[in-house]
Amino acid sequence: MDNSIYTSLTRQSGLNREMTVIANNIANAATTGYRAEGVTFTEFVHAEPGTRSLSMAKANVQTTSMVQGAMTKTGGTFDFAVEGDGFFMVETPNGERLTRAGNFTPNAQGDLVNMDGHLVMDAGGAPIFIPPDAGTIDVGTDGTISADGQLVGQIGVFEPVDRNALNRESGVLFESPEGAEIVENPRVVQGFLENSNVNPIDQITRMIQVQRAYEMGQSFGETEDNRIREALRAIKGQ
Amino acid sequence: MQALKIAATGMSAQQLRVDTISNNLANMSTTGYNARRAEFADLHYQQVSRAGAVSSSDGSLLPTGVQVGLGVRASAISLHLEQGALKETGGDLDVAIEGKGYFEVEMPNGEPAYTRDGGFKRSADGLIVTNDGFAVAPQITIPDDARSISINASGEVYAYFDDAVEAELLGQFTLVGFSNAKGLEAIGGNLFRETEASGNPFVAEPGEDGLGTLSQGYLEGSSVDSVREITELIEAQRGYEMNAKVITAVDQMLSATTAVR
Repeated sequence: MDNSIYTSLTRQSGLNREMTVIANNIANAATTGYRAEGVTFTEFVHAEPGTRSLSMAKANVQTTSMVQGAMTKTGGTFDFAVEGDGFFMVETPNGERLTRAGNFTPNAQGDLVNMDGHLVMDAGGAPIFIPPDAGTIDVGTDGTISADGQLVGQIGVFEPVDRNALNRESGVLFESPEGAEIVENPRVVQGFLENSNVNPIDQITRMIQVQRAYEMGQSFGETEDNRIREALRAIKGQ
Repeated sequence: MQALKIAATGMSAQQLRVDTISNNLANMSTTGYNARRAEFADLHYQQVSRAGAVSSSDGSLLPTGVQVGLGVRASAISLHLEQGALKETGGDLDVAIEGKGYFEVEMPNGEPAYTRDGGFKRSADGLIVTNDGFAVAPQITIPDDARSISINASGEVYAYFDDAVEAELLGQFTLVGFSNAKGLEAIGGNLFRETEASGNPFVAEPGEDGLGTLSQGYLEGSSVDSVREITELIEAQRGYEMNAKVITAVDQMLSATTAVR
């Protein structure tokens, strides 16, 4: 059995998956509130009774970077960023989702929504109504919204019960299967958006590493091929 | 390899960003122009294994899943509704809005359109019209023999005549507001049209309902911030190059794969 080739192949396919993840990070380097993702390789050991174990690499642990992204000043009345821990909550057709992308706007009915039209939730889990005839809208650092000095609501900031269990969804959304808890003293900044936290240098370095490791695996396959070829030739030559 | 297609979505996103920036820079001196910003969101995720999935017969659960993202998409090109700087022109019929309202104008097909461009003119029959000759609603007619026109902060238009001491009230500008002005559809010529997303227009006198007041003799400049646009342009260019690098790397990986005998 050419186990060495199979072992190397598992790594190749893992590297392939990691390349996909890097490409996605780089593609989302300008996506508001995007959290960089990473892949961890684990050893996968398989032993049939009476055989020696065979260790293979498997890319099966996903990590999400929770590092604070840089803030961009937009000056937009309904552009918000969370400083520190916590997520905004939006109501999607599939249920409540967490997001760090705070580019919101009131919709035609006056309710605050995100760019995909999902309702933004307040601290109590209800939509936030912005009076259309309000002159100035101010948002305090704790998320309280006032229109012309009158309190109209508070943007909710939530923290997932289990950060590791987050599922990613299209539209910079996270699903927290375990639910989310309200953050007691959140810091919300008005007029700013949080950039993607993708570190381009990290990604490019990792990309080169992955590429080279992949090529190395390929040349390993070739060496193995040569070895088997030579062995066959030697046997034939006898 | 998926990475190739993902990098392509990244390149087209950055391309869209450059297009938006170019349009902003091109409209740097367009009266009442609001800068646009391209906003992005990640695309769908392919579930390789879902967090919380049962991983063994004794019921242990996967603490984290494996999801592979499939790139980026444009989620919006949103209007940056910041007040532009007011420029003094001294023109009798140059009116700037200080606030978030819009003027309503009547297009030739009878439909209303909305604009923040208050550089008005007088038509042959005395109507106050836009640069394109569309009448401002509600219509205000200036008599031929009016010596001068005065427009106050609440939009009242007065005319002075040679033979009269008192000014005569000709009409009043109104302003129009929307729940979601970002949802307006730009139709060129500094004009917008209402959409289902913008909500119905509501009309108010200047100074009421937070729509702002008027300043005669001023025009609102474009809200494009050239420094921000140029920095964004550099960012977009570098982002484009990074995505192109991914394509090169994936290409080399593929060529290593195909080189295997």
